[in-house]
Amino acid sequence: MNMVVRQTFPTSLSVIALTVAGLICLPLLFIGYLALSADPSVWGRLWDTRIPELLLNTGALALGVSIGTLLLGVSLAWLVVRYEFVGRSVWEWALVLPLAMPTYVLAYLYTYLLGAGGPVEHLWQWWAGPEARVLSPYSFTGATLVMTLDTFPFVYLLTRAALLNVNVSFEEVARACGASRLSVWRRVTLPLLRPAIVAGLSLVILYVVSDFGAVSLLRYQTFTYAVYQQVTGRYDQTAAAVLSLLLVFFALIFLITERWFRRRSRFYQTTGRYRTSPRQPCGPLGATLITAYLALVLGASFGIPAWLLIQWTVSATAEGAVDARFFGFVWNSVALSGLAATAAVLIGTPLAYLANRWPSKLNVACLQAAYAGYVLPGPVGALAILILASHLIPFWYGTVLVLIIAYVVHFLPAGLQTMEPALQQITPNLEEASRSLGLGTFRTLRHVTLPLVKGGFIAAWVLMFLQCIKELPATLLLRPVGFDTLAVRVWLEASEEYFQLAAPSALLIVIVALPALLLLVSKDWRAA
Amino acid sequence: MHPLRPILRPLLLLLLAIGLVPFTATDGMAADQLVVYSGRAERLIKPVLDAFQAKTGIQVNLLSSGTTEIVNRLQAEGDRTTADVFLTNDAGSLERARELSLLLPLELANIEQAIPASFRALDNSWVGLSGRFWVLVYNTGLLKPAEVRSILDLADQRWKGKIAIPNAGSEYLQAGVSVIKAVYGDDRTQQFLTGLRDNAGTSVYGKSSQIVDAIAKGQVAMGLVNHYYLYRYVSDHPDAPLALSMLDQQAGGMGAIMNVAGVGIVKHSRHVDAAKRLVEFLASREGQKLFADLNKEYPLHPDVLADPALPKRESFRAATVPLTKLGELREPTMALIERAGLR
Repeated sequence: MNMVVRQTFPTSLSVIALTVAGLICLPLLFIGYLALSADPSVWGRLWDTRIPELLLNTGALALGVSIGTLLLGVSLAWLVVRYEFVGRSVWEWALVLPLAMPTYVLAYLYTYLLGAGGPVEHLWQWWAGPEARVLSPYSFTGATLVMTLDTFPFVYLLTRAALLNVNVSFEEVARACGASRLSVWRRVTLPLLRPAIVAGLSLVILYVVSDFGAVSLLRYQTFTYAVYQQVTGRYDQTAAAVLSLLLVFFALIFLITERWFRRRSRFYQTTGRYRTSPRQPCGPLGATLITAYLALVLGASFGIPAWLLIQWTVSATAEGAVDARFFGFVWNSVALSGLAATAAVLIGTPLAYLANRWPSKLNVACLQAAYAGYVLPGPVGALAILILASHLIPFWYGTVLVLIIAYVVHFLPAGLQTMEPALQQITPNLEEASRSLGLGTFRTLRHVTLPLVKGGFIAAWVLMFLQCIKELPATLLLRPVGFDTLAVRVWLEASEEYFQLAAPSALLIVIVALPALLLLVSKDWRAA
Repeated sequence: MHPLRPILRPLLLLLLAIGLVPFTATDGMAADQLVVYSGRAERLIKPVLDAFQAKTGIQVNLLSSGTTEIVNRLQAEGDRTTADVFLTNDAGSLERARELSLLLPLELANIEQAIPASFRALDNSWVGLSGRFWVLVYNTGLLKPAEVRSILDLADQRWKGKIAIPNAGSEYLQAGVSVIKAVYGDDRTQQFLTGLRDNAGTSVYGKSSQIVDAIAKGQVAMGLVNHYYLYRYVSDHPDAPLALSMLDQQAGGMGAIMNVAGVGIVKHSRHVDAAKRLVEFLASREGQKLFADLNKEYPLHPDVLADPALPKRESFRAATVPLTKLGELREPTMALIERAGLR
């Protein structure tokens, strides 16, 4: 039976999968081609002027944010898992809220909070005298702070999950053998958490390296920001392609190293008899201290920003900023994201289906190719599609279609991560039964497989829809002239320092992101 | 029931609805409609176009974006473009569009009378509309005007950490450096840029309005911006300690760096007659006054007076580098800027 299927089945779907995978890889290949065929003098010039600085800045930011998220994420996870205090379960849940805030929203709020004449400076001057200054948000420290506050939940969530899985017997044995509390933590617990922490940090680093929103608003020069400036400021895109290729190269190296480490760390998994650690009850002082710490972190990363957004939205609404034009932006965002998410699900289906049911080398390669979008940070993918579109499909250049292609390339990996498990969970026997009863390939897919995986696919759709809603760099570079989305409005108004005008769009993005966040936290949140 | 139906129907509806979106904005097929691609901020051009629309009944659809992005886009769209008119704030970009044959050469007697030849392309494929000067804006509490005479002085080490500049993508910076390069040559320009870069440090801004804001708040002592940003800021903050200085006015100095905003008709426009009427309107006395005053720029029509708040045009000299040179200088200038490590 299987033999028959193998011979007759793949042709039609395979052709689709192959085409799609090819199309998705095309931008990456094209960037490579453009950069490598560039005049060596372009490379030389960039090496002399930009590359060392960008490497240093990007690396320093990744390192700074890693340290920050490590400290915050692990300490927070430790507190909510190992201690019992009033409101613990609420905090445990609330600490993921910063993920609902796109980096450019948090960055724009911090340019106000920390900016000259802003509230933090006023407070500081009231305390330390009128000449005192606070650190500028437009600096390494500012960018590190904003990115740390935005991404620590990655480390927090993974560490928390790992802590919940730590078998407390290990620690008890260590204690019984005479190890101090500190050395138990250092020599038993921490090594057990290490895979989770490393996974969380690698997510953080990928996020930081490919972020455009925060660094552009904070004017911190990283690769993504430099690429954007090259694309918008120059007629010749070669230099942008060179910088892009370097960024992709580093992202790839990083991903490969990370995979390798993760593979090596497999033996850390715990098995056998399993007990979770009991929570230690806290005294009133301890509970107060813990609550104060949690409130400080969550206030800085979500509470105060959200409160500011609400305040500004109210006053902007009063001044008439929420008008027909605003709803036009909402419609643009919703329509565009809806179409892109739909297209991505339709495109992802044959890829995921073939690779999981008929895992021939070719089919798996097609699926892997679709994951290429992972190593294409927003501005880079946009640049590739911009150049490709203007050469190959100039009649589509500057239309919504090009933007949708960019979204699909960029967000399909996240969608596939949700679609694949859904497919893997249903047994192929059901399909085989259907086919042995006389239904063809497509009818089996339609009547048996798709109804079973519907839930997973809808989740993937929602996930991609929401990521499209908050997408910034590709939208900025590829939108039709005059076609603004909510994310673009936030960025444009914020970079003109019209803080209030940016608020309604930003608030809407955050509100829309909340339910998706819950969905992700309860399931596979890694793709956020 | 078909198993996919619950998802399918909303999806189909969505597809249908979205299919209509891109076509509503750019469909300018009717004879009395114009599509204007504008690199000039919407609130500075919309009122002028509204006046034109009220006067002629020709409907104008305005699409605003970055100048370089528009040139790149016009080039990519080629003869499929729906654009009729290209309007922007930088002669270098207009000249670049002309070199790429994106613009239509014009023969219009009344425009040639209205706008002096030095503010037009040789074949009139673009026509200047208003003059703007790249000036030094400074905080009156932190700098005395006598301390900086020439723009080249800004590279002096004593100004380290005191000056704000726009980023390398700014058309104003590029045009300004082109003028310096044309007057002083590559070596001195390079020297100037390296010094300027070191003095600016991290005070490199994406928007000129942010530069003026930083100067007003005393975060930096001075900055290079177009003159009107000062007036724009002062109209909202009348007490701001700000002033401007026209540089290089000393005897033998090169004169203030000038650029123009201008307009051209897109070569593949399908509404050339209506487009010509718009260009004529913008060059007319009425259009000139409106266009320049909205942004406190200098009208180019010799009979139209500038806003009284501005320094009298006769009171300072402009650099004599022809505007048409800005186009050809652009790429070599960018190479210089990049070599100097400005970002």
